[in-house]
Amino acid sequence: MSGNNDEARVPAEVKPSVAAALPDVPGQVFLKFLETLKESGLPDELIARLRKTLVTDKTLTDRALKPAVLGEEQSQ
Amino acid sequence: MIRVESITINEFRGVRELTLDFGGKNFAVCGPNGTGKSGVVDALEFVLTGDVSRLSGEGRGDISVKLHGPHVDRRNDPAKARVTVKVTIPSLGKTATIERSLVDPKTVIVTPPDPEVLAVIQQIEAHPEVVLSRRELIRYVLAAPGKRAEEVQALLHLDQVEQVRAGLQKIANGCEKQIAPFETIATQAKDSLLKALGIDQLTNEKLLAATNAQRGALGLAVLSELTATTSLKDGMAAQKPGEPQSLIKAQAVADIAAAREALAEIAAEATKQRVAEVTTELQALASDPAVAASVKRESLYQAGVDLIEGESCPLCDNPWAPAKLKEHLQAKIVHLKDISRKRIEAEKKIAPLIASLGKARLTLDALARHAALVKPPVVIKEATAFRGSCATRGTKLLTILPLGETIKTISTLQGIPQAISEEIEQLEKTILLLPDPTKQDGAREWLTVAQERLEVWREAMRKVKSAKAQAQTARQVSNIYAATSDKVLTGIYEDVEKDFVALYAFINRDDEGKFKAKLVPSLGKLGFDVDFYGRGFFPPGAYHSEGHQDGMGICLYLALMRHLQGDGFTFAVLDDVLMSVDAGHRREVCALLKKEFPNTQFVMTTHDPIWLRHMRTEGLITSKNGVQFRSWNIDQGPTRWDARDVWAEIEDYLKADDVRGAASLLRNYLEYESAELCHRLRAPVEFRGDAQYQLGELLPAGVRHLRDLFRRAKRSANSWNKKDVVDEVAAREGSFSKVADGSNAEQWQINTAVHFNSWATLTKEDFAPVVRALRALIEGFACGKPECGSYFRVTPDRETAEFLNCDCGTTNFNLREKAAAKAVAKKAVPDKKKKVIKKLMDGAGEGSVVKV
Repeated sequence: MSGNNDEARVPAEVKPSVAAALPDVPGQVFLKFLETLKESGLPDELIARLRKTLVTDKTLTDRALKPAVLGEEQSQ
Repeated sequence: MIRVESITINEFRGVRELTLDFGGKNFAVCGPNGTGKSGVVDALEFVLTGDVSRLSGEGRGDISVKLHGPHVDRRNDPAKARVTVKVTIPSLGKTATIERSLVDPKTVIVTPPDPEVLAVIQQIEAHPEVVLSRRELIRYVLAAPGKRAEEVQALLHLDQVEQVRAGLQKIANGCEKQIAPFETIATQAKDSLLKALGIDQLTNEKLLAATNAQRGALGLAVLSELTATTSLKDGMAAQKPGEPQSLIKAQAVADIAAAREALAEIAAEATKQRVAEVTTELQALASDPAVAASVKRESLYQAGVDLIEGESCPLCDNPWAPAKLKEHLQAKIVHLKDISRKRIEAEKKIAPLIASLGKARLTLDALARHAALVKPPVVIKEATAFRGSCATRGTKLLTILPLGETIKTISTLQGIPQAISEEIEQLEKTILLLPDPTKQDGAREWLTVAQERLEVWREAMRKVKSAKAQAQTARQVSNIYAATSDKVLTGIYEDVEKDFVALYAFINRDDEGKFKAKLVPSLGKLGFDVDFYGRGFFPPGAYHSEGHQDGMGICLYLALMRHLQGDGFTFAVLDDVLMSVDAGHRREVCALLKKEFPNTQFVMTTHDPIWLRHMRTEGLITSKNGVQFRSWNIDQGPTRWDARDVWAEIEDYLKADDVRGAASLLRNYLEYESAELCHRLRAPVEFRGDAQYQLGELLPAGVRHLRDLFRRAKRSANSWNKKDVVDEVAAREGSFSKVADGSNAEQWQINTAVHFNSWATLTKEDFAPVVRALRALIEGFACGKPECGSYFRVTPDRETAEFLNCDCGTTNFNLREKAAAKAVAKKAVPDKKKKVIKKLMDGAGEGSVVKV
């Protein structure tokens, strides 16, 4: 035991890289979703943007999803 | 995931200081209610997740982990309240010590500070459901479908899946909502273009015919086709730079007509009727303060749902759970459904009024431009002001709240001020007085205006097209996500359902071996129906007993955890989860946990010592991997039945001249141990339906039975002609007889010196020998090897007794005599023969020869 070991005192926060390694259900859903998008004929750029948002960055807010779905033309 | 080797709890909840050695294996904590079992569960949950759900769950009010986690005497010194576990992580092949203190529950100290170990801890924090209490278990089984879906979703972390589904849906809805305003603009642009062209339909033929007529007047080439980039003015000389823009008479006249039409629409009877209707509805809504407040709240909740982003409140920066908050607001919105319907109806009726105001604004805009170009310019002050008011009122009406303001705004839609009509008339007169342009000038003006409006219409159409394309893409993405997530989740639910059915059928194979269940997800709900003895599917609480429901709960939990964590499901705490399951099925639960989850370490609590015994006899836990709490007090926390501690404690009582205390402890301890001895030795005890056995009924029976077992062991050894074993058993028998006789346990009822009712009246000097004798007797039931020390037991635990042995195997005496063993073997042969005959007969064809 090293209760006084300051180096060991690490805030308990789940890091995305760790979470990505989990056999998690959201991860399964996102990957299957991207796979299906590819088969649907939607543009590759759109799929790449969504992959980055959902899988790489793991930012799931509306604000992050909107540019991923609509690209640069999101506001006319 | 992890396996817990040991736990040390200091000043946490009801525990002062306690160390339990799990050895990385299944472990059970048993004790009556209020002896501190939950303290161990809370400590495990706390050290692994930083939380104690018992203190932080729903409906806990002012209770919190930080304030109420420390022992009540340490509430002002949370640094002393800490939990430490030693763990192994099989997947990493590493060991580590994990510690948390109540000073900062969210900070975990990992020694050695290995990032891989920390990552595992973080995984557990992300999946805090390693602890399952009966309270939680019932949530899966008896909850309403919506609530069950929430519980299961939380377990499977589906909030993220739902967050993306809601986000994509919101984006698609937003895109679709954008189309209508663009279409309105395009319609207005088309009307304006048709007016400029002087045609009634916008077809290529009609447009080209009208255009070529004007181009002909200017000697310009005929346009044979209309493409997206065709200019109607193609070949016409461009306006010279700096040349003042001139008024186009024909256009101005047409625009005046359009403005009058738009204003007439506002003043029309139909508009008046609509205004009256909407006003009545809004007044009705506004007259009930509760409704008005609800409309306001509904609107606020709706705005709230749209604004929830990020992990904390943008105003106060306090963290929030976006999915939970959205759910909370959505529930409130649903609650205000009726109000919402009324609001939407009113908004639908207001929409045409907003369109009329928009039309008036646009046409008056055009008149303002013409009025400025006339020489001298005509002042249309009232019309311009009215145009501004149209814009303001239109914007105000887009938002229905506050209702009072909306009613007030609508009430202003009562006809058109006379001054405006007069100004328009004045402008028209002035324009009509202007000389008509020459045919060429007229054609030039016509082509200029037509081209201008064609461009406006083209741009408007481009925006409509783009908005539609965006909406289509967003909807397609949203639909694909919905379909995919449904498919994945349905697959998961199917897997879980299959696993659940298999697990439940296993523990109930005696009467529900053909059990079936349905987990049906739909629209945020999770239906759960189970088969009731082939009579149909019903909710679990409909016909199944409480015990069966408990069984379902644990099976559903295990199925979900296995799916969620796969091979990583290596640790779980089951907190009194099977209290109402009957004895037969408990045995099956033990077998299930052992067989189906051999790589999962279960730490279990129970208040029922018989349940603990089942765990031992079924081999779910070893004899050493359980602890029995006997009492709890605020100063010491839980105390356990630990032989060494008990005898030392009795001695302490005697040293303090407290014979009553010593006698009471001795009696309780002997009662507990005697029950265990009789169970292990399969000693015949007079049956009691209430299972409330007293020491006088247990200990003498145990002594008598062990003596008898030694005799049987000797007979058996003699029959097998094993002289050495006979001698060994005789030696053991002699030792045991000595301590048994010394204790007088078998003369319980007649010897007052050993009858517990008299103990309290004895002097210290009289009682000390009784204690020594009984201690020697209890030790006589155990293996003499210090590293074993287990009580003798008879195996198997049912049917014919075959052996008397101890856990380490040092003692292992055959109890069956040679003749009896041979008889059994002989009897087995005909059985075998019968089986062979049956097998051959089943498979034999005509004329087959069967040899036995």
